[in-house]
Amino acid sequence: MSDTLQQIKDAVITRQRTEIQGLVTRAIEEGIEPKSIIDHGLIAAMDVVGQRFSDSEIFVPEMLVSALTMKLGLESVKPLLKSEESEPKGTIILGTVKGDIHDIGKNIVKMMLEGAGFEVVDLGVNLTVEKLIEQIEAIGPDILGLSALLTTTMPEMKRAIQELQAKGLKEKVKIMVGGAPVSNSFAEEIGADGYGADAGEAVVLARQLIGV
Amino acid sequence: MKSTPYNLVMSALYKGMKGDRPPVGNPTSIVCHGLMDACGVSFPEAHLNPQAMADLALAGHEILGFDTVMPEYSVDQEAAALGCEVDWGDRNTMPDTKYFPHEDFSDVVVPEDFLEKPSIRVVLDALSILRRHVGGQVAIIGKVMGPWTLGYHMAGTQNFLLQIGMEEKNRIIKMLRQLMPATIASAKAQFQAGADIVVLADHATGNLVGAYHYEEYLLPIHKELTAAIEGPLIFHVCGNCTDRLEMFADAGFDGYHFEWQVDAKVAVERIGHRICLVGNVNNAEVLYQGTPADVYKQARYAIDAGVDIIGPECAIPLSTPMENLKAIVSAVHEGY
Repeated sequence: MSDTLQQIKDAVITRQRTEIQGLVTRAIEEGIEPKSIIDHGLIAAMDVVGQRFSDSEIFVPEMLVSALTMKLGLESVKPLLKSEESEPKGTIILGTVKGDIHDIGKNIVKMMLEGAGFEVVDLGVNLTVEKLIEQIEAIGPDILGLSALLTTTMPEMKRAIQELQAKGLKEKVKIMVGGAPVSNSFAEEIGADGYGADAGEAVVLARQLIGV
Repeated sequence: MKSTPYNLVMSALYKGMKGDRPPVGNPTSIVCHGLMDACGVSFPEAHLNPQAMADLALAGHEILGFDTVMPEYSVDQEAAALGCEVDWGDRNTMPDTKYFPHEDFSDVVVPEDFLEKPSIRVVLDALSILRRHVGGQVAIIGKVMGPWTLGYHMAGTQNFLLQIGMEEKNRIIKMLRQLMPATIASAKAQFQAGADIVVLADHATGNLVGAYHYEEYLLPIHKELTAAIEGPLIFHVCGNCTDRLEMFADAGFDGYHFEWQVDAKVAVERIGHRICLVGNVNNAEVLYQGTPADVYKQARYAIDAGVDIIGPECAIPLSTPMENLKAIVSAVHEGY
């Protein structure tokens, strides 16, 4: 790996948000392929960050700044991708369920999924089932990701999936769920297609669900 | 010692004499649809009207058999009094703050009439009603938000945590210190209104921040808070905090209300001699999704481990079955 690519990776891991765009520009000037900057610099760094988060070496404050650093890097490099390289791997709708306004986990998942090449439509927080159905019908996503932080709002996740089933939409979209109180067994019980414990797992799961 | 609900809770809080059985308590909300229906009081009325608030709290004792009554169901009472716009929700949803008035970390000033703001007054009045009804018989629990949680409300949680990630320590500490008087005033007023114990909830949760964040930013502030608020305080924080248990005892809290992710045996072994342990029946998989037998098993595990006051780990989902809450009571009534 070139020195500059390594420095890009290190900058994301160590949260050097003011350095990242200069490093990306330098890499491009050195003739490094934009796709390589993304795959071997930015995404590779977030894999390390995700692992450190899973291992409780770092927490949300550090994760947020690393994700922000990655995002700044992506903004510099994305316009330079060839058209076939910028084709999204799939479309994902994300939202936090009705009654829940917590969105940090969802936002981190969004940044990681975008970094991994998915097109993400973020429907925000306190998402009503009606809006969800309307957007699924309008966008036709490959995956729906639902988040809930509170044990008090978990039942909304179940209700949303039941409504999708009733409308005949559940078979048309893969559903993945996550959030602090959510577990694999809860995901199975409510009929979700998968559960991710953190943002790193969400990316792996999204790739598995649509086979990319 | 007579094994009355009040005596059992207060004695357990100070690791004193044991009565016939462990007490069952709720530092956080045990309101579910079944309880609302049983007592004829529903959300959002129970957030806004002192009599409704007190009636719903009493139902936790009279209908479910808990040894405590706790009338504050939201985490937004102080936030509303500090200028946040709060959506008080409905029967199926908990309240939430809608906008964050200090996203720019501008100075927060606690208003002079803070204790007279409707969202604070309602809790104080509900506590006084409870005092008149069950004072000395059942332990009355109040609840206040600590400055960290209030910081989330003022600046937005993600923004607040992002500033920590960016090492903007001065901004964070300034906001925390500006919010401390709200926590202190609210807690002292709740004791004066009739609370036997006040829960101080401060969501530096295990899933969001690390022990090093707690130690650097919040431990010194919590030491000052526990010194300034003289009455008995139970600290509530969510998530797996196994990495910082001793710090909660160091902070000077009388009790720690904890989640199932912290193993009861580990908590008892490490800090059980220094602080009252309260909890830690799992909400998501056991109380909400499980059977009474699952609840009973986990409650007995906590009792056998030496947890002092048994109860749900956090505010329960509104669709939790009442039989599951009663299963905690059944487990404690079997005694030690």
